[in-house]
Amino acid sequence: MKATLTQARAAKEKLLRKVATRTDVNGVGITRGQGGYGLKVNLSEDGGKRLPSDVDGVPVRVEVVGAITKRSPAPRRRSA
Amino acid sequence: MRLDSVRELKSEWSQLFLTPAARRRVAHAMAFEAGRMQELPSAPTLALGVAPGSNGSDFRLAVRLQRRSAAAAIHLEELHERSRGEIDVRFVGRIRKRTWFTDRHRPIQMGISVGHFRITAGTLGAFVTGPRGRPRILSNNHVLADENRGAKGDAILQPGAIDGGLKRDRIGGLDRSVKLKPAGTNAIDAALATIDDGVETRIGVLRGTRAKAAGAAPEDTAIELVEKWGRTTGHTRGRVTAFELDNVVVGYEIGNLRFDGQIEIEAAGATPFSEGGDSGSLIMTAGEHLGVALLFAGSQTGGRRNLGLTYANPIAPVLKALGVALVA
Repeated sequence: MKATLTQARAAKEKLLRKVATRTDVNGVGITRGQGGYGLKVNLSEDGGKRLPSDVDGVPVRVEVVGAITKRSPAPRRRSA
Repeated sequence: MRLDSVRELKSEWSQLFLTPAARRRVAHAMAFEAGRMQELPSAPTLALGVAPGSNGSDFRLAVRLQRRSAAAAIHLEELHERSRGEIDVRFVGRIRKRTWFTDRHRPIQMGISVGHFRITAGTLGAFVTGPRGRPRILSNNHVLADENRGAKGDAILQPGAIDGGLKRDRIGGLDRSVKLKPAGTNAIDAALATIDDGVETRIGVLRGTRAKAAGAAPEDTAIELVEKWGRTTGHTRGRVTAFELDNVVVGYEIGNLRFDGQIEIEAAGATPFSEGGDSGSLIMTAGEHLGVALLFAGSQTGGRRNLGLTYANPIAPVLKALGVALVA
């Protein structure tokens, strides 16, 4: 099935509710491909927990992205 | 010492302190995180070499340390004894790669190093104007407002402090910011700075190209290829991999903050799309240079070639929250 943006948005809300308590999930978003729209789930670590391959026919792609931090160089300056 | 004696001593101490395993040990003793050392392969904490001796015909072991605390970690006293004092020790501070983007620039323009006086550095993202018409600088809250801790009027330096910016390098003052919320959901990491009288600007100019930044893209434009100019990685190209990304938890000094409605970008070339210091960069459509997002976070892994992923606030809510428009 080629999912529309509206279908992908509805599937995203459903998936967000499903993974609400999972601490390894660090982002659920929408992807755009040649075959229509899909979902992307980012994980901070590969804990081996399962995720569905689709939600109501909208394909789900999973990627381990690790920790996400602000893009500032460390170390912080100590004084003015 | 004779040259061959110095070389022998250098070789022995290199084995002890410069192998990967030894560097981790030294880093630990110096209270660095080992991970940070790996991120900075071009900036070791210790370097060994050969220095000329005092009488012009002999030699000494040259020891260059980035921190005084490193002296204990590498048993400098023992080294002193072994070489009968014939070592040349200097504390050189942290060595950083300088680029055009980290240098001081007047007039100021998009992509250069900038920051609140208490932070390291971020990027001057773009020039914007409000209802009263005077141009302002757009970047992140964590770049211009020190994660909510800055006060109106606080000095904004160019370059940022980590790039050598001092009080005399002030280009403006913190104007206002969108507060970062440690609890609840964020959408934006953004702030504005005023520009001091006498500080000239090159509005819209993008280094290395004749093209100019062309204002903001219409909301809900389908975006694929993007470009940005940033303090650390300079001019890079990327590809949007996800949008309307919710539940993104980002590490800050004030805690882990949740963001909804974000854009995710991977590298389109052989190097990362962004790294630390690129925060605040304006992300634009490739070719047309229409502003689409404000860069603020990233990961070290994931994306094309595992070069990491970049996260950005869509530009429309940023401009709306601050009541400004991009200057074309």
